[in-house]
Amino acid sequence: MIDGPANHLLFASNVGKTYPDGAVHALNGVTLGVHEAEHVAITGPSGCGKSTLLNLLGVLDRPDSGEVYFRGEALSTRRDLDRFRAQQIGFVFQSFFLLPTLTAKENVQVPMFEGPPRSARERAKKADELLELVGMAKRANHRPMQLSVGERQRIALARALANDPALLLADEPTGNLDSENAVRVLDLLTTLQKERRLALLVVTHSTEVAERADRVVRMKDGKVLDDGTTVSPHQKKAMAHG
Amino acid sequence: MHFVTFILKNLTRRPTRTALTVLGLAVSVGSMIALLGISENFRSSMSDTFEKRGVDLVGVASGAADQLSSEVDEAIVDRVRAMPEVAGIDAALVELSEMTLREPRNENDTPPSSQVLVQAWLPDNFGYDDLEIRAGRKLSAEDAGQHRCMVGYKFAENNNKGVGDTITLLRTKFTIVGVFKSFNVYENGCIITLLKEYQELSGRKRKVTGFSLRVKKSAANPDEDVETVRQKILALADSDGKKFRVTVERPEKYLNDSAHLKIAKAMAWIVSLVALFIGVISMLNTMAMSVLERTQEIGILRAVGWPRGRIIRMVLGEAVFLGVAAALVGAVGAVVTTHLLALSPKVNGFIEGGIAPWVVLQGFAITIIIGLIGGAYPAFRAARLLPTEAIRHD
Repeated sequence: MIDGPANHLLFASNVGKTYPDGAVHALNGVTLGVHEAEHVAITGPSGCGKSTLLNLLGVLDRPDSGEVYFRGEALSTRRDLDRFRAQQIGFVFQSFFLLPTLTAKENVQVPMFEGPPRSARERAKKADELLELVGMAKRANHRPMQLSVGERQRIALARALANDPALLLADEPTGNLDSENAVRVLDLLTTLQKERRLALLVVTHSTEVAERADRVVRMKDGKVLDDGTTVSPHQKKAMAHG
Repeated sequence: MHFVTFILKNLTRRPTRTALTVLGLAVSVGSMIALLGISENFRSSMSDTFEKRGVDLVGVASGAADQLSSEVDEAIVDRVRAMPEVAGIDAALVELSEMTLREPRNENDTPPSSQVLVQAWLPDNFGYDDLEIRAGRKLSAEDAGQHRCMVGYKFAENNNKGVGDTITLLRTKFTIVGVFKSFNVYENGCIITLLKEYQELSGRKRKVTGFSLRVKKSAANPDEDVETVRQKILALADSDGKKFRVTVERPEKYLNDSAHLKIAKAMAWIVSLVALFIGVISMLNTMAMSVLERTQEIGILRAVGWPRGRIIRMVLGEAVFLGVAAALVGAVGAVVTTHLLALSPKVNGFIEGGIAPWVVLQGFAITIIIGLIGGAYPAFRAARLLPTEAIRHD
């Protein structure tokens, strides 16, 4: 049984999303909650609505029906969703999406323009700290093209943490990495999640990624098949394997 | 990192395109600055001449578009000179005249001719006082009937003429008695000769194209004194009792009303506007392409929390930087071009090198406005991009 919005950091209540042509229901009445410092994985076949749900939870898109709550507050009532996103949510994408003209250190500073007020010097100092945290301090002045894919994802992770968000959303974070780099990034992601008590929501096809989560949510055809709240660790492993 | 640094880094992404856009816009802006600068130089040179010569009033024929098309009865000059309030008067017959620089070698030889600006002055014009004599001497009353002239130093350089050489004007040979330098660029490219004999040669006896005068002014009410003289001149009538067909104005008003200055300025603006329109299109194209190429990146910026306003500021900032760079290049180009033109023998008696600072500043302001106009549509288009667009491409 899922509690209401008040008990969750993030709560999607019966959200639905239909693509503009109206023919496909990407999401159909999904209800899902994420607690503070909880690590949740969302799995399911391609086209099941995982990424659409992530977009709604990350306030990148608005649901056609239902409501998304953050710490009990309905997000549809907020007018400053850009600032909210900048300050409360960090994103990690499959393709990293680093800006090619900027160095690693500068890329990390990009979200800080909309974060808590900081001077240029303070932004640079914060970026140095985050690069140190992800083990990329020595590559601070390299551009993305000069970095390996694993390094790029670590920079992207540092960028996601730029404004000390409460929630980290990751869409296939190891999807473009080889197995060795995938393990490194996953280790880093889970360590940071634990140390910083971040809520982490990962959309993934990867069983290795899903296995690390506290809870695995399975989706199919725009609906939640199982939200993993009542399963044993053994069952969780089975869910991670689809 | 500062926001400005971020904007500049975006511009360095495609350095060739940035450079070409700056260059294209610089040509537009440079053309505008050069044209308006030349037009302004023309006006300021005239204005300076009046100011330095202490001219209080300028008279030309009523309704004349400019001094070249003006014709005033010289009798009015005598009447004005006789006024006790008048400290001095210059009268001139100014016209473009056909000139040949050498004699025919034989009966079948026709020496090449060209047009030159001739100023026929009275021997006591106060305009002689500020001419710097570089060779020979000034004209005087003793030269009357001798067909003598002075030439500006630019004229002398361009035509390789000096004191003792001759020029043929109105089929009459004139001997050069002096080479001068004036603070008026147009006088440096012209010929000055005596009024009376030129009137006779040109068939315009007792006619002048205009006059300028100095007024004896009191310290208390100088403007009132000048206005009183102006009204007195306007009230003058000829021997038949008819008022002279003359307009008398303060130099600034005369220049503001001058048709040829207005036409020059209008032409400069028309050509400039065409160039500027091309500049706006160029900027629009560059910024639209730049935004299109960065759809995904702009989506990511939106995803990490950049509001639409910051995206707009980013794109407009890039456009303004392009504009400022173009204005710098264009202004330098315009100044260099006018200096080079001023060195050219074909125009160096008419064009003054250099451009007034306010014309350059005006060019900068207009270029920044071009940047904002050209960048506006791409900026708003960029701001409308949805972050989900970027993620969908993932």
